Order: sequence, then structure tokens, then C-alpha cells
Amino acid sequence: MAVRETRASLRRLFFFFICIAVGVAAIVALRSVIQSVRGVFGAEAKSLIAADVLISTSRDWTPDARRTIEGRLAAAGVVERTDTIETPTMVRPEDRSKAVAKMAELRAVQPGFPLYGSIDLQGQTYSPALLAGHGVLVRPELLTAIGVAVGDQIAIGKAAFTIRGLIVKEPGRGMGEFSLGPRLIIAYDDLASTGLLGFGSRARRALLVKMPEVGVDALVKTLHEDFKDDFINTRSFRSTEDQVGRDFDRAENYLSLVGLIIVILGGIAVSSVTRVFILQKMRSIAVLKCLGARSGQIIAVYILQVMALGTAGSLLGVAMARGVIASIPLMLGPSTSILAQAHYGVTWSAAVQGAGIGVLVSLLFSVVPLLQVRFIKPSLLLRDETVRRPRDWTGIGVLVAVSLALVALTAWQAASLKVGIVVCVGFATLAVILHFAGQALILLIAPMANSRSFPLRHAVLHLSRPGNQTRVILLAVGLGAFFIVGVRSLQASLLSEFSLQVAADSPDMFLLDVQRGQADGVRAFLGDPAHGAGAFQLIPVLRARVVGVSGRRTNLETVEAVRARGSLAREYTITYRDHLEANEHVRDGVFWNGPSSEAEVSIEQGIHDRFLIDVGDTIRFDVLGRTVAARVTSVRNVEWRESRNGGFMFVFRPGVLDQAPQTFVAPLKGPDGAEARARFQHDLVERFPNVSVIDFHDVMETVRDVMSKVTLAITVVGGLVLFSGGLILIGAVAMTKFQRVYEAAVFKTLGANTRTIARMLLFEYGVLGSLAGLIGSLGAVVLTWGVSTYAHEIPWKVFAGEHIAGVVLTALLVAIIGVVSSLDVLRNKPLATLRAE
Amino acid sequence: MTMMKCWLAAALALTVAGCAPRSDDRDDLSRAASKELAVTPVAARPRIAILGDSLTAGLGLPKAAAYPSLLQERVDEDGLGFEIVNAGVSGDTSAGGLARLDWALDGDVRILIVALGGNDGLRGLPAEELQHNLAQIIERAQARGITVIVAGMEAPPNYGRDYIVSFHKVYPALAAKYHLAIVPFLLQGVAGHDNLNQRDGIHPTAAGARIVADTVWAVLRPLAESRRRPPT
Repeated sequence: MAVRETRASLRRLFFFFICIAVGVAAIVALRSVIQSVRGVFGAEAKSLIAADVLISTSRDWTPDARRTIEGRLAAAGVVERTDTIETPTMVRPEDRSKAVAKMAELRAVQPGFPLYGSIDLQGQTYSPALLAGHGVLVRPELLTAIGVAVGDQIAIGKAAFTIRGLIVKEPGRGMGEFSLGPRLIIAYDDLASTGLLGFGSRARRALLVKMPEVGVDALVKTLHEDFKDDFINTRSFRSTEDQVGRDFDRAENYLSLVGLIIVILGGIAVSSVTRVFILQKMRSIAVLKCLGARSGQIIAVYILQVMALGTAGSLLGVAMARGVIASIPLMLGPSTSILAQAHYGVTWSAAVQGAGIGVLVSLLFSVVPLLQVRFIKPSLLLRDETVRRPRDWTGIGVLVAVSLALVALTAWQAASLKVGIVVCVGFATLAVILHFAGQALILLIAPMANSRSFPLRHAVLHLSRPGNQTRVILLAVGLGAFFIVGVRSLQASLLSEFSLQVAADSPDMFLLDVQRGQADGVRAFLGDPAHGAGAFQLIPVLRARVVGVSGRRTNLETVEAVRARGSLAREYTITYRDHLEANEHVRDGVFWNGPSSEAEVSIEQGIHDRFLIDVGDTIRFDVLGRTVAARVTSVRNVEWRESRNGGFMFVFRPGVLDQAPQTFVAPLKGPDGAEARARFQHDLVERFPNVSVIDFHDVMETVRDVMSKVTLAITVVGGLVLFSGGLILIGAVAMTKFQRVYEAAVFKTLGANTRTIARMLLFEYGVLGSLAGLIGSLGAVVLTWGVSTYAHEIPWKVFAGEHIAGVVLTALLVAIIGVVSSLDVLRNKPLATLRAE
Repeated sequence: MTMMKCWLAAALALTVAGCAPRSDDRDDLSRAASKELAVTPVAARPRIAILGDSLTAGLGLPKAAAYPSLLQERVDEDGLGFEIVNAGVSGDTSAGGLARLDWALDGDVRILIVALGGNDGLRGLPAEELQHNLAQIIERAQARGITVIVAGMEAPPNYGRDYIVSFHKVYPALAAKYHLAIVPFLLQGVAGHDNLNQRDGIHPTAAGARIVADTVWAVLRPLAESRRRPPT
């Protein structure tokens, strides 16, 4: 009977089938891409520290510590390990006639290094053999600095080393670490011959470990416990201590959010088509009942049908996902990007999950209405009435069981709990809001039912009559818009965060210890185009301690009282200037204009919040033995993430401190190209020997490289969401046309022309689309706020464009689909439709 | 750029640290050493200025636990009537010390302790530069009739023998040339001992600072005795 039933309504079933396939395909394709992108993220993160786990110490390894570590590593099933030692040292040409020494960062490595990533050399491939017999690899800057060439010998400590190659890039270049000189790499076993390591030497010893990924977090935690009182640090590639780590974390969070959302979106699509599909069957069921079919029999027939279609649709969905994923590399073109490295296949877990959701959701949403079959009376045929059903425990029981299965499927995603909570709370809240919005809409437009315009009057009646589509469309489209707009604006906020970090004009060099007498000279040097430096800034810095506060809420008379406030007593770096930086905003009070002989200070929001110091209070500072009492005239908020030029807790008004001892620091954009940079540093230091130059161009480049890969990955995933989300919504809305068909035919029979009906539909769907889009977009604002604040920990920004586009596009999309999907009805002769029904 | 901020904070320990809003409350250290500073009238006491870097400024310690504050306690206990001026600036090199000499010598400074060079060493600056800058500081102080004590620093062994030796020679050479009292090594008995240094392995803990104060006091005390103001 199921087969016969299927044959009878083939077209409609086909549409149902396609809708399920699209929903499942979206889930499977996105989940697969996300999984492989994550894998690549992991590989990138590992190459940043060149290991899975990095255990390091600034002291000697003690035998006890080594024993403990060995034990833990053995227990964790470590696959591979290698030791390195880093130490700053002075190098000079072995040729004594060149009397020039330069500070360098020496790294001694064993043959196993690096465990991940690779050492890139100029014009050759790295192999440990290059270091054998006192070979050394150096950064190109060193050649300029001390006037040597590849093949020459340099003296490191007591030993002579031969330069065998030039380092372009090395993995595990301690992210965020500070270095004052170019890198040298030598063999671990040669280090002893230099005599550099002895009592009082400053060196960082590290043990790099490669191990199965599952045990990484546990090992890090155990070692943290073991060495919490020692000078031993442990971090994994997942560590979020530095900026890049946090960015990886955010990108992962975003991906799991998208994964979760696509599952829900797919579920919504499948559920709404199933529901419509089953409701359409009610009359046939009544007929069957008239003919003596039992409820159980009927339920079995339709469940069998839905299940078969659900399964087939899901399988088609998996196949479609394969096609989509296989075409991604074609669309991206040949690139060396992170996505090119990703493995483009459908992962099994994604396929099973997608298909499972397809079948379960269609089952869930067909079983519940089908259970009503038991209460359908044959009289339905004669009186088109809605059935008031008694409380149905079987129905509730089935509902709960299938829902639990769904929750389990969704929870399968190892998503971030925080993100999951934000999304689920948002989902539930929005569903409730949409439900009430539907009721409110019906009440609100009810007066229009008396409108003179025929299409308007009937559109309103459609929206408010019993058994209407209002709530179903609102729910599906509203939630859809909510998630799609939410994902898009989260993407926009993440990408703007990332682009902030990789802005090409960010400073990549830093000068320390420029003396007051040198400031003009350095300024001239940096400004001279011949030296090739980009934008720069000279910032005066002084050291000061707070020794007292007289204020409304805080009164600290003595140094002891200040000390009781913890970090307020620490030494602060202060500056003075007459302008606000781009990353600063005045929160309270007024920032000065020009110098003054009165001491005034602007404090950072954090100081205001933590120590309850307000505008109008007076802070006493000890500036190198002299007390300066400064009135607080403004509270500033510093956007630390954008603090390209550092940031200061205390900024003074120019005037009082001008004559105090101070040095200048200078963040600047160095010249392009390794050679130009080397010459730049060399010339600068020759003229200002006490000035130290910190070059972090390479670290910036690494970060930029990684971030651009992550950015691309996120953009592609976001694009897929938009595309598949759109398809899903189209399916969900188009499916509702089957309820319209009969009415449209009746209207036509009664003399309505095609245009009238089209207008009616346009109005009806337009209102629903606008309302759903509006609520969804507003919900998305809240969603982005929740995720930005609680999961990503980045400042929340509203991307108005995304939200407005969300409302407009949703309204347009729904209205157009509403009309277009009914086009065939409009064009057909009404009799054909009526007969078919 | 955030990373730069972090670097500033984690920088060369003796450098321009501390722009970030970190809650680096090192209060365990401060409680250990929160002895009350004797409050004596500030007016017109003769001064002993200590021109130094973070070791003098007491980076990571409350000011009262830095060695200049401990020296103030000794001075007060002995009733010598001097005020110790802590002219230590974290991150400062000998060039920085020279630039701010006049500020440090404000008031009736009788004795100047020059405790610079640590950052020159950590940054691998040429020893000749160090010697040149310190010589100018000494000459200018002596021209004002101030007694100068020079406190030596050592470059750590990882900088290589050549550099260490050239660095090491600077202080005795200056002491001989200008007839100065010398503290051979400011961190004598402290450098390299884990339990006396903070996590960075450079800056003394409160206990380490007490040893530094002992080391300096041994040289300072006789000179302080001889240069104290005759009782009125």
C-alpha cells in the first residue's frame, strides 16, 4: 500500500525527497570541510612550536626534574622527542683583524629537530648533516652586521664554526619572545665546545615532544602539577597563551558553531517539509479510514514512506556533499593555501551524522502529526474541521524519545560547550519569540481583513485562518535568518579582528633606549628616505611608582597603603603627550590641549575600575626620587589589542615631566627585504651605539601567514553556510505551496485572475518574510554579542550591513519563492488542479 | 599590535616593561618584606644617590624591599642622617644614566653610587661604550665634590669569554683611574642562585636584595661616616 500511495503523489514526494537531500548535503559537506580544516589548523599550530608539547626551563635541568619528565613521557606514549638549548651570545668573525662583535640568539638542536614544520634555507634543503663538524646556519642579517660570508668562520665562545647556510624561516621560533639578535643554529653536541654554558649562564633549555594527540592536554596538566613550584614551563600546540593560540581557538570555536548551526538548519528544513507533507495527507487518510483502514495500518504506511524517502534523500545528500566538496579545490584554483592542504573527502562521521539527522528529523516530524491519525474521523471529508485532540501520552512519549535521539546526534559534535549553550539558548528563545510574533501578527493585521483591496483582504485571511502557515514559515525562516545572519556577522567580526593583527603597516621593529640627546638624530635617521624605514614614532618613557592617592573613593596616605592595593605599587612605565592615540577613547573627563605647568594625568580604565580612582582625584607619583602630585583629569580606555604603539596606564600632560630623565622607544616599520633591514640596523647602531634594535619582522610574517590561511578557511566555510542555508530556506518555503494549490484553483474558478492571486501571495509571503527576517536579524545581533563576549572574548561589534542585508534579502527571498513556486498553479487550468487534489 | 605589548612586558627583564594591564601582583614578595620605613624629616638631609637600573629600582619587588630602602634602614639605625635617593630606572643603560645624572644629583648629594651596566651587558653593547659613559658620570660627579662609589657588574658566561673579560675590566679600571671605592660585583653571592632570584633569573628576591644591601653597605658605611654632616 505504501508503494501505491507513493506512486499516487510522485511529484510531491520528489520535492520532499530533494529537500531532505539538500538539508543533509549541507550538513555533510560543511561538517567534512570543517573537520579537515581543523586538521590543518592543528598542523599549523604544531609547526609554530615545532612540537606537540614543549617543556622548557630557564635553568639547568635537574636530574630529579628529568626523571619525573621521563616517567610522564613514557606513560603518555611519546613517539619522538628532541632537546634544544637557546642562549643569547656574542659572535665575531674568527678572523681577528675584523674587530666587530654582534649579539646573536644561538640555538643548539639535535638531529631530530624540528618535530613539525621545517627549517627553510636559502637555496638549499636543511639536513642535520649541514651542522656536523662545527657547522652553523645563520640569519642573513648577521653577514652584514659582522662582515662575513657563507663559508667563512665565526667565533662562538671558544669554538670556531663554519657558516654553511642562511636561514629563511625556522619553526618554533618562540612566538612572542623577545630577541635582540639574529638567529644562529648549531648542533647540540657542539655546544659544549663553546664553553658558553656554565654557572650563571642564561639559557633556555627545551624538550620538544611528539605524541598521540589525545594525551596532550592530560600530559600538560600533569606536568603543570608536577612543576608548579619550579622554573619549568609546559605548553602544548593548543596553548592559548599567545595571540595566535587565541586566534586558533576562536577560529575553532567559530567552526564548531557553524557545524552546530548547519545541523539545526538542516533539521529545520527537513522538519518543515515533513510537516507540510503529512498535513497534506490528512484527507487521504480520512478516505482510507472510510474504507476501513485501521489507524495502525495507516501510520505504518506513511512512516514507511517517510522513512524510505528520508533514507534515500539522505543518501542523495551525502552524494551531493561529495560533489560539492570535490569541486572546492576547482573553485579555489591552484593555491598553496590551507584549504589546498585540506583533505577533500566526506568524512565518515560527517556522513553518518548528516544521514542520521535526515532520517531522524523526518521521522520525528512525521510521527507526531501521524499519531493524530488515530483521532481523524472520516467526517473530516465532509466538514473541514480542525481536530481538537485530547492529551496524547503516546504522542508525547514518542516525541521525547525521538528528540533525545536528535539531541544526542547534535551533541556528537565536539563543539565548545560555551558556544553550544549560547546557540541553544538563542535557538529556544527565538523559537518562543517567533511563536508569539506569529500570534501578534495575526492580531495586528486582523483589521485589514476588512480592506477594500481583494488581494490584501484575502492575504490577511490566509494568514489568520485556522491551520495556517504563519507560524511554520515564521519559525523556519526566522530561525534560518537568525543563524545565517549570525554566522555571517560573526565571520565579519572574526575577520576584522584578524585583519587588525596582520595589518601590513604594523610596526615590525622596535628601538630601545634612545637617549634624549639622540632623539633628534634618530628622528632624522628614520625620516631619511635613504634608510628605507616606514612610519615611526618616538615615545618618551619614564618610570614611576604610585606613592599615594587622595580621592573621593580611594585615599591612600602612605606607601604601605598603596602596597596593600597590590599591583598599584608596581613600577609603571609612563609617558606624556598632548594627543590621544587612535586606540584610545576618553571615558570620563576631558583630555588636555597643549602643555601646562600643573601636573595632570590621564588614567586607563583598568586603573579606574580596579583601584576606584576617579576624575578629580590626585595621585602622587615617585618619579626617580621626586614626588609629582598629579590631578586626574580624564579616564581613557585603551584598546589593547590595537595597541601598535604600546599602551600606557598613566599618560601625563606635557610640561611637568619634560625635564625629567627619560628615554625614548620607537616602534617603526622597518625597510623591506632582509638585506635592507640588515643594513638599516647596522647603520643605525653604528651611529647610536647604545640603541638596541628589536626586529620582529619574521615573527610578524609567520603570524600574517597563518592568519591569512585561517581567514581564507573561514571565508570559504562562511560562503558555504550562506549558499546551503539559502537552499534550505528555499526548500522549506517552497514546500508550503502545496497548501496553496487548492485555494489558488478555487480562486481562479471563482474568477480571480493570475495577477490578483500573485499579489495576494506576494503580500502574504512578503509580510512573513519581513517579519521573520527582522526577528532573525535582531536575534543574530544578540547571538553575536553572546558569542563575541563569552566564547571569543573579542569586543562586540554590530555589522549593520550584514543585518540589514539579512532582513531585506530574507523578505525578498521568501516573497519571490512564495510566488514563483506557485507559478505552475497560476498558469494551469484550475480544473486540472482541482481534479488532482 | 598586541604581541609587541606582550614583548614589552616580557622584554629583557631590565627593559621598558609593564605597559600591559596584567595583574602581576607580586605581593608574596612584598609581604615578606614589608618592614616599616623609618619616617624621618625630609628637609635638608644630605643625600646618597644610587644611580642604577632595575636592580636598584627593585623590579618585581615593592620599593621598601629594594636594596636602597634597606640601606636607608641601616643609615637610620646608625644615626648617620643621610637620605638615600633611589635613582634606579628599570631598563636603563649607562647611556641613560649619563643622560639623567643631573636629575639624580638634585639636592645636597654627598655620595653617588654608580650601579649601572647590567643592561649594557644583557644587550651586548660594546664595553668601550660602557666605560666611556661611566667615566663621564664619574667626572661630572667628582667635579661637584661628590664622593663616587662604583658597583661592578658581570656579563653572564653565555656571552663568551672575550666579551666577559672586556666587560669585567671596566670597573676596576675606572676605580683605579678616578681613585674610587669599588663594590667588585653588585650581585656577589646572589647571581646564579635560584633561591635568591625571581623567576626571570636576573632580579633578586627580597632575600637576595638583603645580600646586595650587605655587600654595598660594607663599602658605603665607612664613606658615609666620613662624609656625614658635623652635628650642629
